Formats: sequence, C-alpha cells, structure tokens
Amino acid sequence: MIIRRKQMLNLLDNIVQAVLSLRDNRFRTILSILGIAVGIAAVMAIGSVSKGGHFMVFKELETFGLSSVWVMRGNEDVNPNRVTRKGSGIDVADIAALNSDCCSAIRRITPIVYSYGINPLIHVGNRYSNGRVTGVGYDYLTINNDTLSEGLGFKPSDILRSRNVAIIGKAVVEDLFSGVSEIIGQEIRVNDRKYTVVGILDVKSRDFLKSIGSAGDDLNKRILVPYTALQLQLGKSDIDVIQAEAVEFDQAATATAQIMTVLEHQHNRKFTYRAQTMSQYIATANGILQGVSLIGVLAASISLLVGGMGIMNIISTSVMERTREIGLRKAVGATRRHILFQFLMESIILSGIGGVLGLFLGVLISSILAWITGFPLIPSALTIVISLVVSVGIGLLSGYYPAKRAANLRPVIALRYE
Amino acid sequence: MILLENVHKQYKLGEIPIPVLKGISLNISQGEFVAIMGPSGSGKSTLLNIIGCLDILDDGSYYLAGMSVDVNSEDDLAEIRNQKLGFVFQQFNLIPRINAVRNVEVPLLYSEISPQIRKDRAMKMLELVGLEERAEHSPAQLSGGQQQRVAIARALVNTPTILIADEPTGSLDTQSGNEIMQIFAALNKTGITIVMVTHEEDIAAYASRVIRLRDGVVEMDRKRP
Repeated sequence: MIIRRKQMLNLLDNIVQAVLSLRDNRFRTILSILGIAVGIAAVMAIGSVSKGGHFMVFKELETFGLSSVWVMRGNEDVNPNRVTRKGSGIDVADIAALNSDCCSAIRRITPIVYSYGINPLIHVGNRYSNGRVTGVGYDYLTINNDTLSEGLGFKPSDILRSRNVAIIGKAVVEDLFSGVSEIIGQEIRVNDRKYTVVGILDVKSRDFLKSIGSAGDDLNKRILVPYTALQLQLGKSDIDVIQAEAVEFDQAATATAQIMTVLEHQHNRKFTYRAQTMSQYIATANGILQGVSLIGVLAASISLLVGGMGIMNIISTSVMERTREIGLRKAVGATRRHILFQFLMESIILSGIGGVLGLFLGVLISSILAWITGFPLIPSALTIVISLVVSVGIGLLSGYYPAKRAANLRPVIALRYE
Repeated sequence: MILLENVHKQYKLGEIPIPVLKGISLNISQGEFVAIMGPSGSGKSTLLNIIGCLDILDDGSYYLAGMSVDVNSEDDLAEIRNQKLGFVFQQFNLIPRINAVRNVEVPLLYSEISPQIRKDRAMKMLELVGLEERAEHSPAQLSGGQQQRVAIARALVNTPTILIADEPTGSLDTQSGNEIMQIFAALNKTGITIVMVTHEEDIAAYASRVIRLRDGVVEMDRKRP
C-alpha cells in the first residue's frame, strides 16, 4: 500500500530551500531582519540601562552603609494635659549600655549629636564656611563607609577626653583653606572654640539620590567632631541619634528592636523611639527601579512586536507571490507539513539572523553606555539566551499563520493562480 | 492501469451546484498514450485532475494500478502523486529562483533519497531531454521549449508510471510543441503511460487514443489502430 515517507525534509534541505527564497528578495529580507534586530537591541539596551541605574543607586546607597540603622526619639502625640518631656531620650549612659554585650545583632554603634538650630559660625581668619558641625563617635567613619584622603582621624582618646579635633569634608576645605598646602594641624573656629583638623574626608556623591530628594545634606560639607566635645560646647548632655551597623544586612530589623529595648529599659519607658534602616530604603529603591525597567521592557517589546508584524507581512506576501510554486510543490508530492515547515523555516531564519544582529547591536549600545557611565554593563549570558529564544519565538509565532495558510492551499487552485 | 467507473464531480458556484463530470467510465491500460479533448467547460481538466490525484471525485470509483483511490487525506494523495505520477503543465511551473537541475530535483526532496543521488538523477533526466548543458541556467535564461523540457525532466525524475500533461504545448510555438511531442512519443515507447489534455488536433495526433468529452460525458473514445 502507501509507503509512509518521512514527515519533514532533512534540516539542511529545509534551510537551503529557505535561504534560496530569502535571497530572492534581498531588500525585503534585510528590512524585516532589521525590524527584529532593532527590537532585540532595544530590549537589551533597556536591560543595560536599568542594570546601570541599579548600579548607580546602590553605589550611592552604600555611602550610608548598607547595614546602617538609625534610632531616635519618636514623635509622641502631644497631650495638652500632660507636660511634654524634654530632651532627645538618649544620653551618654545609654551608649555605655549599648556597648555592653546587650545586642547580638549589632556590630558597632556611634552616637550622633547635631548642631541644628544653633548655627555655629565657622571660620578661619576672615574665611567662612556653611559646613554642618556634627558630633560623632569613633566608629562613625567605619559605619558610613567613609575614608580619609589626608590625616589619621580621631583616636579613641579624642572621644573620651572631649578633645577639640575635627575631620572636615572637601567642600569645607575649599571654603576655608583654598590655596593652603598643609591643612592637617590647622585650626578652625566654631563660634568661640578652636578645633584642630586631624583628617579630610574623601569626596562622596549622592547626586542621584539628591535628584530624587533623598540625599540629606551635602556630604562634603560635613565637619565631624567628637560628640563629647560638641556636647560640652553646646552645653547639653543629650544624644540626638544612635547610628548602628547590623551584623548582617538582613539583621537590621533585629538590631533596631534590640536598641529600642535597651533604650526603653534605660529610661523606664518614659520615651518612645522610632528607627530607620537602610534595608527599607533599599527595598524602596529596588521597587522604583523594577518599575522603571518594566516600563522600559514594555516599550522595547512594542518594537519587537512591530518586528514580528514585519516578518508576518513578508511571509504573507511571499506566500501570495509563490502560490503557484506551492501548488507545484504539492502536485509533485509535498505534504501540508512540508510546506508549513518550509515557510516556518524562512521566518525562523529571518528572526534568528535578526536576533543575532540585535544581540551585537545591543552589546555595542551597552558597551558605549558602559564607556560613558563607567559602569560595567555587559549583558549576561542569560540575557543573550533570552533574546535569541525570544527572537526565534517571534519568528515561529509570526510565521505560523501565513505558513499555515500556504500549507492549506489546494494544489488544483494554487496551480491555476495568476 | 487507470480504471474510472461512473465518476461524478460537481463544483459549487455560490450555493448552486454545477455538475462537471456526469458519470464517466474509462479504462486506460499501461503503455497507452491518451489525448483528452473537448471544448472548454467539457470537464477535461477536471477529469485530468482526478486522474492525477490532484482532486477528489464526488461519486464513483477510481482504481490506479489496481489500487482504489478512495482516500480523503490530502497527504495520502500527495504520497501517490510523489511515487506514481509525473506532471507537465501548460505554464511549465518552474521555480524561478533556482536553476534547472535544482528544479528537476524538487520531487525528490519529498521522497527518501539522499542529496547526492538526487543530483545525479536530476542530471540524468536533463540529459534525457537534451539539456545537460543548461543545468546551471535559471528558468528565465531558457526558451519556452527548453523550460518545458526541464519540466518534463522534473516529471520523470521520480520514475513515475503515468505522465499527466495539461496542455503541455499550449504556451509553445509549433516547432517547440512538436519537439515536446516527440519526447512524449519516445517516452511512451519505453512503457510510460501518458494522459494528456489538449485542444490542438495535430498534437492529439501523437496520441494512440483520443477521448472527446462534451458536457461532462464521454462523447467519443477512439483508439488508433
């Protein structure tokens, strides 16, 4: 009876037939390849940009110390029938308590004393600075990932003995010492007191965070002094904020809970406290970045969609122009499956070439972006695999409808087509 | 070889059925060279399509080489066409972008034959029709007669037992037409059965049997002595 033939041409024959017919209409072929290439390149560029954004934001978030937590007095409801307790709710005795082995989730802490509302006058001779004087502990630099470009910084004894020494930011250096070569050992005046400069901070940038309104003060305007010295000068014993570094990034919540427990115990629950952690900020930043890249990917997908429609168009046109050829092929024995695969192969070759081309374009764009921004934005292997799979998938999807139509042509009618 | 019994076929023009073949019975033996003639609308092309397994009859029966062709599956019909039949058309139907030898190879693409044997056989067929010199030429570089000879080579490449020809000389000048007919006559001598539709008397004269149709029935069936 009827001998079953193989259901498909062998792959090589199939590819040869497809390439021959694609070569026949070079201009159209190139256009539809470009359509896919642009789409894939756009998707990859968006991927690189969002990766770069992520990189940039995290680099700035690191300037706070990624495991940092801050604890300060809470904003209690104002009760008119009660005398509002004064003070920050944190004092020097609390620091000692926190430094004992109370809190397993904390690696190191630093008290922070602000000079807000006092606005000390900072000057050297007749040069003035609008720097911000902040009292800190010995571990402040470590917790905040700060490094010194000059000088040795504080010694533990500077904090203990309330010495008048200062570490200053680059902007303060420019305000007070521009043109001066040896700054370490010089004195600056903060109101009536003199502080000796023992360190200069490396420049830190929070330009991006500032642009979305969450940078805090200019980091390069900091004047760091021992918190004990600032307390003496301001005549107060309070500490405004406890900043601590959690042992692990994901221990931040535990660390704040432990600190608050100690503080509440120390003050017999007279005060309530609130805390901020970097992990909250990071979660927020991640959320925003994901939203941005999702929108980008959606936008790029539209160009992929257009590319896919281009392929559908070229295959449809090709099927129509080659109706008689399809009729002939069927007359001499091609099955529906043979015809279906012939046209699918053409569409897969188009989109595959487009995908590879788009990949190269995407890598090129990413490399240029990397060169401009200085971030490593080379696409990952996963990105490459995904874009190739996606482009071949688009070929399959957009080629299927016209290929199916070709396969279903009846030979008698196709042969008569003019 | 070909046995048709009371074959009916109708087409639908909108909702109205138009009968094209109204009970045709035919018996064509192996080695015959049959010309089917008749005015347009007589059903000769439809009959040829049914014999060529390009179309399915509505009623009646069709035996090809002793085997009933009552399959409804398009793929099974494709199988029969590929293994047993060769086709020559009025419009040649060569694929324009591939050269002569690749055109001849096309039927073999759809059967189990290795690429090397495919090419050898295609070249042999081109030799048979005297076009081995033109194997690398594209159809556009060939004259009408040459194109039809490539088409004949293509029809023969899968060693069919029956050659189906639909107005094979309809697009050719008299001289080329006669050359094609001489090839047909020579092929027929080797034992290949030929069924050909034509409306030219001098082309039909090459055949050993002429069947005339009118309004979907056989009007005349005459064998040459």
